[in-house]
Amino acid sequence: MNKKSLLQKAVAAPHVMWAVLFIIAPLFFVVYYAFTDKDGNFTFDNIAELAQASYLEIFLRSLCFAFLATVICLIIAYPIAYFMTKASPKTQKILIMLVMLPQWLNFLIRTYSWMALLEDTGIINNLITAVGLDPVHMINTSGAVILGMVYNYLPYMIIPLHSVMSKIDSRLLEAASDLGCSHFKVITRVVFPLSMAGIISGVTMVFVPSISTFYISQKLGGGNFDLIGDTIERQFQTAYNYNLGASMSFVLMIIIMISMAVMSKYSGEDDGGVIV
Amino acid sequence: MKKTRNIYTALVFIFLYMPIFVLILYSFNSSNSTSTFEGFSLKWYRELFSDSATLDALKNTLILAILSALISTVIGTMAAYGINKMQNKYVKGSVMSVTKIPMMNPEIVTGISMMLLFVFVGVMLGGKSSLGFGTVLIAHVTFNLPYVILSVMPKFKQMDKSLPEAALDLGCTPIQSFFKVELPQILPGIISGLIMAFTLSLDDFVISYFTIGSGFETLPIRIYSMTKKRVTPDMYALSTLIFVSILILLLVSNLVSDKNKEKMSKQAKKITKIVLSSVFAVIAVITLIVFIASAGKETVTVNVYNWGEYISDGSEDTYNTNLEFEKYYEEKLKAQGKDVDVRVNYTTYASNEDLYAKLKSGAGGYDIIIPSDYMIERLKADGLIQQLDLSKIPNFDNIEEQFRNPFYDKDPNEKYTVMYTYGVIGIIYNKDKLAPADLEKIENGEAGWELLWDEKYKGQILQFNNARDAFGTAMYALGIDVNNATDEDWQNAYNKLLMQKPLVQSYVMDEIYNKMESGEATLAAYYAGDCLSMIANNESLGFFYPKNENGEYVTNIFADAMCIPKDAQNVEHAYEYINFMLSPEAARANAEYIYYASPNSVVINNEDYIDYLGEDYDLIYDPDFNNLITANGEEITYIEYMFNTYAYRDLSDESRAKLNSLWEGLKVDSASFGSGIYIICAVILVLLIGFIVYKYIERRRHRRLYWNNAAQPKVVVSRNDFNSTAMYDAVKAELEATKENEKK
Repeated sequence: MNKKSLLQKAVAAPHVMWAVLFIIAPLFFVVYYAFTDKDGNFTFDNIAELAQASYLEIFLRSLCFAFLATVICLIIAYPIAYFMTKASPKTQKILIMLVMLPQWLNFLIRTYSWMALLEDTGIINNLITAVGLDPVHMINTSGAVILGMVYNYLPYMIIPLHSVMSKIDSRLLEAASDLGCSHFKVITRVVFPLSMAGIISGVTMVFVPSISTFYISQKLGGGNFDLIGDTIERQFQTAYNYNLGASMSFVLMIIIMISMAVMSKYSGEDDGGVIV
Repeated sequence: MKKTRNIYTALVFIFLYMPIFVLILYSFNSSNSTSTFEGFSLKWYRELFSDSATLDALKNTLILAILSALISTVIGTMAAYGINKMQNKYVKGSVMSVTKIPMMNPEIVTGISMMLLFVFVGVMLGGKSSLGFGTVLIAHVTFNLPYVILSVMPKFKQMDKSLPEAALDLGCTPIQSFFKVELPQILPGIISGLIMAFTLSLDDFVISYFTIGSGFETLPIRIYSMTKKRVTPDMYALSTLIFVSILILLLVSNLVSDKNKEKMSKQAKKITKIVLSSVFAVIAVITLIVFIASAGKETVTVNVYNWGEYISDGSEDTYNTNLEFEKYYEEKLKAQGKDVDVRVNYTTYASNEDLYAKLKSGAGGYDIIIPSDYMIERLKADGLIQQLDLSKIPNFDNIEEQFRNPFYDKDPNEKYTVMYTYGVIGIIYNKDKLAPADLEKIENGEAGWELLWDEKYKGQILQFNNARDAFGTAMYALGIDVNNATDEDWQNAYNKLLMQKPLVQSYVMDEIYNKMESGEATLAAYYAGDCLSMIANNESLGFFYPKNENGEYVTNIFADAMCIPKDAQNVEHAYEYINFMLSPEAARANAEYIYYASPNSVVINNEDYIDYLGEDYDLIYDPDFNNLITANGEEITYIEYMFNTYAYRDLSDESRAKLNSLWEGLKVDSASFGSGIYIICAVILVLLIGFIVYKYIERRRHRRLYWNNAAQPKVVVSRNDFNSTAMYDAVKAELEATKENEKK
């Protein structure tokens, strides 16, 4: 019996080996490169370099952009996820499908399409000037970058929110209003606490890609707002400075770990919430 | 209420679909603009099906997605089975948390961590090219695994444990019991894991971007290199097709599953079974076809790594250099009795530094690269390119005498390069947007670099997005020698660029095409050939070479040359390709397409070519360049003098480090950035913290009031108290919910 159960567990061995080779070992190399110089000697210089004001500002800026994008996503997604639960099951299914459908198109091309919309001589401004108003400068601003993040990651907020909300027992809502809650209070006191798991998982799914993106800021920010992702990408693809890039990734990983820890403190359940 | 609800929903969906509408609309545009609609046409759909590179990329993407999905599904299902059987909580927990790492980590970190592993292993194995199809496949399987495991695991958990036991009791072997009893139950989980893995892999850009090597391009990577320049609407056409087919697929599957529910469950099961097995069958057939197709004929692949838009590529009925080479070489090999397919694998980079980083990262395996002068010196010094055997390139004789042994490759007996083109950096401007005074200056030949520092054009200036060229512009403007700059010179150039930063709209490489042609930007320094290409697309653009006060050209002159890397896989074919590029037809077609100066005598003396260029001929081959001047007591042509004086030379390690750190400093400096965003962030954060604190206090008070006081309100709910069972259930649920909340 013991032998058999061992054999059964051994079925997981390829995966465990794979994980050691291609998940743990690569992370070890990030740490290794982060704390060595070009000749492979141990050093703290790479990390120390990040303490410069300009790098600190990049970190702060990325945090801020990602935070704002997440908040905006939450504000937009919450009502729509709630409204979606009110529809008939069939409509709900179609709505969810419609929310996910844009994700099937490559995000690079969708972002590029936003560029065509936002440029000074772009589609929106052409429409505005055709109506006779002054064109609005939108591209290459921080707003455009945040818009790109919100656009690309909004579905990752809507879906988990919706799936949690649709599981809320509708009798609870009825009970709350029977017991004298106003419509608004039902939402704040019943729906909101019960949808916390969805909020947490949505926030994670928007915040993590937002803080590490490098394409959106390059295209919609015109390279004027370097984010962490841009800086890391540059070290690997152009500047050929793996050590600095690795140390930056290391710090990014720590930032994300901290934010996850903070969030999971409020999530209660630790099951990773909902996977789309 | 319902109305506002609907309006709100509609608004969000408009937001989600706006760029997609744009994309669909412009896929039918008759011009190649992505911002002005000039008429309906199906031209881009036709282009798409003749664009072999895009179709190849699509095929590669599908192969990669299918393979990685299948591998990760097999490993993942096994893993889910094994993990489920694990009894030790800690072992199980740690395996699960390691599994989830690729899901939790930002994609860029996963990408670079794998790249570092591969590069390190490559170095350990002796510096051989380590990135390639295998590495992307490994990377894709790695990030697919957690999704597969997490969708299969619950099925194992839900499964009745006594079922396999019963099967065993009834005489099944464990393997039989797995396939006959357990597998059918977990099949839905496996299928959804497979589909998820497939989609994730299909759409992945970031991780592929860092782990991909030469000779293999996926669709997202191709789109990325396209968006660096300009996305041709055939990519829009492809996206439209993908979008429409997925829409149809989803609608059909929705309809089918809706019908299923109405019918008997047995029948439903049957249908799902059929659907599932047909999905499997389709996937299997596709894989089979792909394998057969790739195994059919022996294929000779030539991997070419070139600058973006640097070859006549057959777009809009031009000469397709790579296709013509394939045809030519196939015939030649056939004459030698070898019946093979020749395929040019053509990928592009945006700057010399990108090329260097790519080669250094072990993504070797390129057969031809086309770097510039100073980078050639560096590659030579690093031993990354090999000496050429000129007897294998008979067309080398077509190269003009003065371009055979340029400064970066002086020794006639030891050739490493064959010059492809040369050119001068000039300034491109939009006539409609420039002040008349400045226009006049340009016409009189008095305009210089200072135009790029003119406050009038704030937000309309583009600057190079590569260190060497950007610092070059500042150094030429300041009259600094670009090759012998002192520390002070570097600092001055840096300050000059810092001064320019608030005026700069963005730092670009090939993105300049779109921005100048659409009128989005007014002024930029760029390579002459590209500038003339842009002018050909938009007549309101003009171009000049900057001069100093003495009326001398002070600007960079560069040469790009074909080289064969040390670790090239197909050296013979590489020679063949270089020779082909120098042949009259190909050389002329390329020169006409890219508007760079050709060092090829059969091109520059060709009457048709001179006619074709018209006025541009004098701009490209400035008559002044042929003037003889005396420098250091030697009589040389003006162009040779320019090469000796203004071309970039490879820098010393210290200067390069200096340049890189200053460039990094410039890029991360953000003087133009307002503080508004920070303030908003801070306000929201304060509100959020306030809210959490308030909730906490409220909960504490609540708890003190109700739970800490001895008499806990004991609510007994009896069915008799209520008129309806629904109400009874509701109140009961409410009570349970509050209790649960309190527990938290």
